[in-house]
Amino acid sequence: MSFILTVALSIAAYSIAVLGTFMLTGMNGLFSLGQAAFMGLGAYVSAIMVVNYHLPFAVAILIAIVVAMGLAVLVGFATLRIRQDFFALATFGFGQAVTGLMTEMVNVTGGAMGFSNIPRLTTPTIAFISLAVAIVFVWGFRRSHFGKDSLAIRSNELAAKVEGIDVFKHKLTVFVLSAAFAAYAGALMAFHTRYVEPAMYGWIASVTWIIIVFFGGRDSLTGTVLGSIILLAAPEALRFTTAWRTLVYCVLILVIINLRPRGLFGTWELSLKPVINLFRPKKHQEVQ
Amino acid sequence: MQLTVLLQQVINGLSLGAVYALIAVGYALVFNVLKFSNFAHGGVLGISAYAGYIVANQLHWPLIPVILVGILTGAVVAVLVELIAFRWIRLQKGQLVYFFVTSVTMLMALEQVLIIRFGASFESYPYTLLKVKVIHLGELTISITYLLSLVLTIIAFSVLLYILKKTKIGIAIRAASNDLVATSLMGINVDQIIVATFIVSGFLGGLSGVLYGISASLSPQIGQIVVKGFIASVLGGLGSLKGVAMAAVALGVFEVFLVATIGSGLAPVVIFLLMVTFLLVRPQGFAGVSFMDKA
Amino acid sequence: MDRAVIVDMNNLTKMFGGLCAVNNFSGHVLEDQIIGIIGPNGAGKTTILNMVSGIYPPTSGEIIFKGKNLCGMEPHKINHMGIARTFQNIRLFEDMTVLDTVMTAYSWRAPYHPIETLISSPRVGRFDKEIKEKSMHWINRVGLTAHANSVAKSLPYGMQRRIEIARALASEPVVLLLDEPGAGLNQTEVQDMVKLIQDLFSELHLSIMLIDHRMEVIMCLCEWIYVQDFGKKIGQGTPEQVQKDPVVIKAYLGEDISNA
Repeated sequence: MSFILTVALSIAAYSIAVLGTFMLTGMNGLFSLGQAAFMGLGAYVSAIMVVNYHLPFAVAILIAIVVAMGLAVLVGFATLRIRQDFFALATFGFGQAVTGLMTEMVNVTGGAMGFSNIPRLTTPTIAFISLAVAIVFVWGFRRSHFGKDSLAIRSNELAAKVEGIDVFKHKLTVFVLSAAFAAYAGALMAFHTRYVEPAMYGWIASVTWIIIVFFGGRDSLTGTVLGSIILLAAPEALRFTTAWRTLVYCVLILVIINLRPRGLFGTWELSLKPVINLFRPKKHQEVQ
Repeated sequence: MQLTVLLQQVINGLSLGAVYALIAVGYALVFNVLKFSNFAHGGVLGISAYAGYIVANQLHWPLIPVILVGILTGAVVAVLVELIAFRWIRLQKGQLVYFFVTSVTMLMALEQVLIIRFGASFESYPYTLLKVKVIHLGELTISITYLLSLVLTIIAFSVLLYILKKTKIGIAIRAASNDLVATSLMGINVDQIIVATFIVSGFLGGLSGVLYGISASLSPQIGQIVVKGFIASVLGGLGSLKGVAMAAVALGVFEVFLVATIGSGLAPVVIFLLMVTFLLVRPQGFAGVSFMDKA
Repeated sequence: MDRAVIVDMNNLTKMFGGLCAVNNFSGHVLEDQIIGIIGPNGAGKTTILNMVSGIYPPTSGEIIFKGKNLCGMEPHKINHMGIARTFQNIRLFEDMTVLDTVMTAYSWRAPYHPIETLISSPRVGRFDKEIKEKSMHWINRVGLTAHANSVAKSLPYGMQRRIEIARALASEPVVLLLDEPGAGLNQTEVQDMVKLIQDLFSELHLSIMLIDHRMEVIMCLCEWIYVQDFGKKIGQGTPEQVQKDPVVIKAYLGEDISNA
C-alpha cells in the first residue's frame, strides 16, 4: 500500500472515532475524557479474538463493538446523572482504569509491551465505506428528533425534561453509540497498524478528538469531518513528532476558541440541495 | 504488617496526602470562584516542579530558594493560563463547555512542552538538595522529604487561612466564591479578584509540584496528579476548603495502602469505582453544599 | 355539573437545607379551571409549580394527578401524563428556530430507534412530517406563523413568551403551569397575553395554574386564588374575596389596591 493510502486509511478510521465524539461532546455537550478507552477496547478485543481464538474478522469486530457498548451502558448508568465537571472527572477515571487493566493483564493483552502481529485485514475499501456509512448515520441522527433533542438538552436540560424528553435515556443512547463508533475505529486501526499498546488510548487521545470537533465547529458535521481530515493529515505531511503535533493542536484550538469559538466552519454544512435540485423536474422547482 | 512498616506507610500516606491537599485546595479555590474545573492546574504544578528541578540541578541552588522558585513559577503560570485560556471566554460570556475545552487543552499543552524539553522519562531532584536524608525515631526511619511535605503544607495552609480571613483580597475572594455577580456589584473589580485567586491557587500548585517532585517522582506526566485533587474535592465536598483538604489527606493514606496491597496497576480501578460510588450516593461530598439550579 | 379535581396538592412542604420554601401548602385545581397563586417574591410560588412539574421532589406531602402521586416522579414522566409548563426566566434552546423548538415537545412520542435514521425508514419521515404539522398548528395559534423559521432567541421578548406557550401546548397537556407569563411585557403585550390565555382556555380542555404579579392578569383570569407569603398560605378565595381579605391586603396588596 502506498504511503498516501496508508495515511488516508488511518485518517478515515480515526475520523469515525471523532464522529463518535461529535455526537457525544459536540451535539450533546457531554465531556468524556475516557472515549479513547472504548477505542482501546475495540482494538484489543477484536485483535485477541482473531489472533488467539482465530475468529473471522467480521465476527471479532462485532464482538468488540458489543463489549464496548455493554461497558458503555454500565459506565453510563454510573456517570451520566452527575454534573458536568464530575462527569469529565469520572470518565477520566474510567479511562485510567481501563488502560490500567490493559497494562495489568499481561497474559491476555501483552501488558505495556503491547499486542503485536495482528494481521493486516483492514482494507482501504472497508475503511472508506465505513467512514461514509458513519457520516450518513450521524447526518440522519442529527436531522431526526435525536438531533433536536441533543441541542435542547445541551442548551437547557431542565426545559428539555419538562417537555417530555427522557434526558437520561437520550444521554445513555448517545454515550453507547459513540462508544460503538470508537470501538469500531479501534478495531479498524488495530488491523491496519498491526500493533496496539495501552498508551495509545489515554486521555490525551480523547482530548485530541474533542479538540478536532471544536476546531471544525461542534455545530457543523461537515466542519468536523473536514477538520478531522485537515488536522490528521497535516502532521503527516509535515512529519511532526507526537509531542509537537499535540502541542500544535492545543495552540490551534486555543486560537480558535478565543477568536472564533464556533469553529473554523461555524454552522456551515455541505448541502446536497443544489445537487438534488438539478435532478428535479422543472415543475417542482417553480412550486418551491 | 509490622508496626514500624505500618507507621512508615502511614507517614508516607500523610505526606502524599499533604501534597494532594495542596493541589485540591488550589483547584477548589478557582472552582468556587469561577464555577468550573480548572484542569490546567495540573500544568501549573508540572511546570513548577520542573522549574524547581532546573534551579536545583543546574544552578545548584539550596532547598529554600528552590521551593520559592517553584511557588513563584506556579503563580506566574497560573496567571498566564487565566489570560490565555479563560479571560477572553469569560469576557465574552462564553458557555461553560468552552472553559472545559481550554482548561483540558492547557493541561495537555503544558505536558507536551515538558515532554519536548525534557523527554518522556523520569528525572529526579539532586540527591544533595537535602542535607539530612532521614531521621530516626526509635525504630522508624523517616525520609526527610515526607516531613518536608507535611511541614510545608501546614505552613502553606496557615498562610492561606490568614490571607482568606484577614486580608482584603482574601475576603474579596471569599465573597466572590459565594456570589461573583453580587461581589462585582459591590464595586469590587472582578478581574482583579480572579487574578488574585489564580495567583493564590498558583502558589499552592507550585508548592505541590515541587514537593511531589522532591518526595515522589518527576516526569512530564506529573500534571496528571491534579486528578487526585479533583477526586478529593468530590469526596470532601466543594465549597468547603477544610473538607477538601481533609479528604485529600485521607485519599493519600488510602492510596498508599491500596498500592501496597493490590499494586499500582489496579489502584486506578478501585479509585474510579470509589469515586463513582461517591458521586452517585453523596455528590455533595462529606462536607459540601448541594448545588441546585434555580428553576 | 360537578367538575372533578384534577390536581390535588396536600400538605406540600419543601425544605432547602434549613430554609423552608413551602410550608404545608394544600390546594387543588378543578377540571377546566384557572387558579392563581400570588404572593411577594420568595413566597414559594414557583417552588409549588416546580414540585408539581417534578423538578424538585417535595420534602413531604403529596400531589395527586390522574389517580397517581406525582411525588418523586421524573419531570418527563409527569409531562407524559399531561402536565406542561412555562418558565419565569424564559428557557429557550440556543439557535433553534421557533418551529424546531416547538417540535421538540413531540420528540418523546417518536416511534423509531436511532438505527432507523441510518436507513431513513419511512417511519422517520412520516413522524417528522406529522409533528411539523401539529407544531405549526400551535405556532399559528399563538400568532407566530410569520416567524416559524426564525431563530427563537432572536425574537422580541413578548414573542419568546408566546413560543414557550406554544411549546407547552405541543405537549397536548390537560394541565398547564404558567409561571409569570406576563413578566417583562409592557401593558399592551400583557393584555394580548391575557386574551391569548383566555382564548386557549375556552377552546381547549385545560386547567391552568397561574403565577403572576399583575393584579389585572390574576383578577381577570383566575376563578380561585391562593395567596402565599414566606412559604405559608395566608389566604384563598375568589378574586373578590382575596381583594377584600385584610390579611392578604396587609401582606401583599398594600393599602392602594383596596381602594382601586
